[in-house]
Amino acid sequence: MSAPLLEIAGLSAGYGAVPVLRDIALKVDVGEIVTLVGSNGAGKTTLLRAISRTLGARGRLAFDGRDLAPLSPEAVFALGLVQVPEGRQLFGRMTVEENLLMGAYRRKDAAGVAQSFERVYRLFPVLFERRRQKAGSLSGGEQQMCAVGRALMAAPRLLVVDEMSLGLAPVVVDQLLGVLSDIRGEGVTVLLVEQDVFAAFSIADRGYVMETGRIVREGKVSELAQDPEVRRAYLGVAEGG
Amino acid sequence: MLRWAAIAAVALLLALLPLYGDAVTIQYGINALLVAVLAQAWNILGGFTGYASFGNSTFYGLGTYGTAIAMAQFGLPFWTGLLLGAALAMLCALLVGIPILRLRGPYFAIATLGLSAALSALVANLDIAGRNIGLILPLTRNDTLFYEASLALLAAATLAVAWLSASRFGMGLIAIREDEDAAAVMGVNTTLYKVVALVLSALFTAVAGGIHAYWITFIDPASAFDSTLNVRMVIMTVFGGPGTVLGPVVGAFILSAIYEALASSISTAAALFFGIVIVLAVIFMPRGLVDLGWGFRRMGPRYLLETVRQYRL
Repeated sequence: MSAPLLEIAGLSAGYGAVPVLRDIALKVDVGEIVTLVGSNGAGKTTLLRAISRTLGARGRLAFDGRDLAPLSPEAVFALGLVQVPEGRQLFGRMTVEENLLMGAYRRKDAAGVAQSFERVYRLFPVLFERRRQKAGSLSGGEQQMCAVGRALMAAPRLLVVDEMSLGLAPVVVDQLLGVLSDIRGEGVTVLLVEQDVFAAFSIADRGYVMETGRIVREGKVSELAQDPEVRRAYLGVAEGG
Repeated sequence: MLRWAAIAAVALLLALLPLYGDAVTIQYGINALLVAVLAQAWNILGGFTGYASFGNSTFYGLGTYGTAIAMAQFGLPFWTGLLLGAALAMLCALLVGIPILRLRGPYFAIATLGLSAALSALVANLDIAGRNIGLILPLTRNDTLFYEASLALLAAATLAVAWLSASRFGMGLIAIREDEDAAAVMGVNTTLYKVVALVLSALFTAVAGGIHAYWITFIDPASAFDSTLNVRMVIMTVFGGPGTVLGPVVGAFILSAIYEALASSISTAAALFFGIVIVLAVIFMPRGLVDLGWGFRRMGPRYLLETVRQYRL
């Protein structure tokens, strides 16, 4: 077994004096799809902010064996740890094509960028049709595709997707999940953060369940899906905090 | 192709104006061209990155004082004065930009607001700048020269913006305007980009100030550091189309023509007019005249309703 691509151990973080994350341990191996689920306010997005280095944290945080703690958000991005942020953060008045190009902003290899373009347009034909359209004028689903496409343009090794399904029609969510499965086949590891546990479990290999700033369950999704606690949370009975 | 031919034809027509225009037209032309340069320069930072600068009237003042001090106090040639003024303005842009442009959002606009008043007070107490009396520059009666210099400067500023809008650097600036956090994560060095844009803006603004000073031959602190000039830059850019290549130029030409007509009859009407223009422009065409033109061709008057709806006014 090779070293994990992303390794988190004993991680704590918070905002000011308010602790949010306590003693988080999580790892993602190369080629896996791992999902992190939990209700609103469980600390999922805070954990992602710690991973992307936009929020300071204590504890072990390593990507491909390299300590992320001293790195800036740009440097983390450049290593190939790329996020599709919640709310997408598209450049609304730039065209779809320009948005995609921004994902490849720091890449110097023109041939590689052309290849990435081809890949994104193959995965999302609708983006090719709308490549001259302003990103802000796309539908919600198309915007999410554009955000995933832009992240893929950065040639990620680990793609971290935050709340991809939020506000989207089930048919669009299924299509996006299909794309995540496809890109895993092309060598991109995926960490999927979701409130929609059912959608996340449908494509993930392993899962972590988060509650009030802690990881409370972890394991194969087939096992987690049988867990009575998870089923309770999945049904929306449990409190997030 | 047709578009470029039309632009070239207009440029040629403007360049040949001294051959067929009378003295008053040429003088009006110099003013309009210089104001268009100011709008275009403001556009570089304001239009592309969305950071509204109220420090551009300061760069203008430094350009005028640099030129005036070089020529009136040291007897140096005009171009040396322009260089000095541009250097002062760019230095000022660096000194102000590096600390303030690290901040995001409206802080930059607020911090630049007081700048021109401060520098106005400073030069009013400097012997070399003629204190509050001002400086008189050597007289040169050659309006054709000033006209062509202004036109060349506008062409240079517009070409710079055209290059910006097609370049990797320019795309980084637009990304800052659209979502600064996302741009930073994707590898845009946001502080550096904003500072470079401000310095470029200062360069064109200062040279325009220098040409104006030599043409008018007299400057004093109040006219050199006039903050209402900064307001006109903003209005003209917003009116024409911020972040576009030709919008600020078109906006400046149209508004200075109307302003000139009004100011010659009733001067208060001109100020009132600008107030009305900015209110209407913000409501009905927040993306400027250029976008209005495209929108009208596409959907007619419905464009106005669409923008009002889109921006929820």
